[in-house]
Amino acid sequence: MKKKTGKRLILAGVACALLMAAACCYAIFCDNGRLIAPMDFSQYQFRLQDLPMLLSFLAVAAYFLVLLFLLARAGLRKPREPITRKINPKLGWLGLFGFFGFLGFYTYPMDGSIFPFTFFLFFGFFGFFYEGKMSNTFMDERYRENQIKAQHTANKITLTIIFLAALFLGQGRLIGSLEYTLIALVVIIALSFALDIFLSQYLLYRWDQKERDEDKED
Amino acid sequence: MPEFECRLKAFRQQKGLTQEQLALRVGVRRETIMRLEKAQYNPSLKLAVDISRAVGVPIEEIFLFEEEVVENG
Repeated sequence: MKKKTGKRLILAGVACALLMAAACCYAIFCDNGRLIAPMDFSQYQFRLQDLPMLLSFLAVAAYFLVLLFLLARAGLRKPREPITRKINPKLGWLGLFGFFGFLGFYTYPMDGSIFPFTFFLFFGFFGFFYEGKMSNTFMDERYRENQIKAQHTANKITLTIIFLAALFLGQGRLIGSLEYTLIALVVIIALSFALDIFLSQYLLYRWDQKERDEDKED
Repeated sequence: MPEFECRLKAFRQQKGLTQEQLALRVGVRRETIMRLEKAQYNPSLKLAVDISRAVGVPIEEIFLFEEEVVENG
């Protein structure tokens, strides 16, 4: 993607956000918060005052569609270089977001919300530490072989964990409550995916590094 | 992985190529050539052919599989 196109996209995004903010302000202050406050859309009837909100919504939707189209096109056009992507190992710190998953233990008793548990997925981002260390590495056939082997091992381990969890928790009231069973399943699936993301990077790095170290010793 | 003997190092040195140069010619990393020379990596047919062309020696003379090693003594 060209720099100019990138700048235009950012400007268009900012314009859409401003348009949406203006439409929201109009709806709140001049239209009793219509289309913002929860309402029954099955009985919706068009009114001229709805236009700003509808237009801003259309603009945002069109923006995201264009964005998706441009990203897909850029992905298709990009020649597949046999080099690993450039990633800063510091991105691995994003894995700390995984700790937000523990918020679920606070929100569930408060309002029954279990969504925060899915944040455990972010633990997988610790894998960026290892992917970053292998940034810009030439991917020859041995590297690709190791990559597939690492992915396969990670998948096998996580699928076994999910299978065992489904087997035990699928009994229903294993912990005494169906809700706790669901929570346990969500937590285990989120953690398993995190493990899959992390492990595939970690194993690849370990195998590659181990081979390098062995070669150095000789 | 079938066990084999790899005589690449000798042929490479005969040709006056370093591991790095050979790796560049056949489009792999130097580490891959190292592991190949130690017979710790089983290459694809394409890589084996590329190496054979790069060093100018037939594949079957570079890679000797178990039976051949026994036969050749």
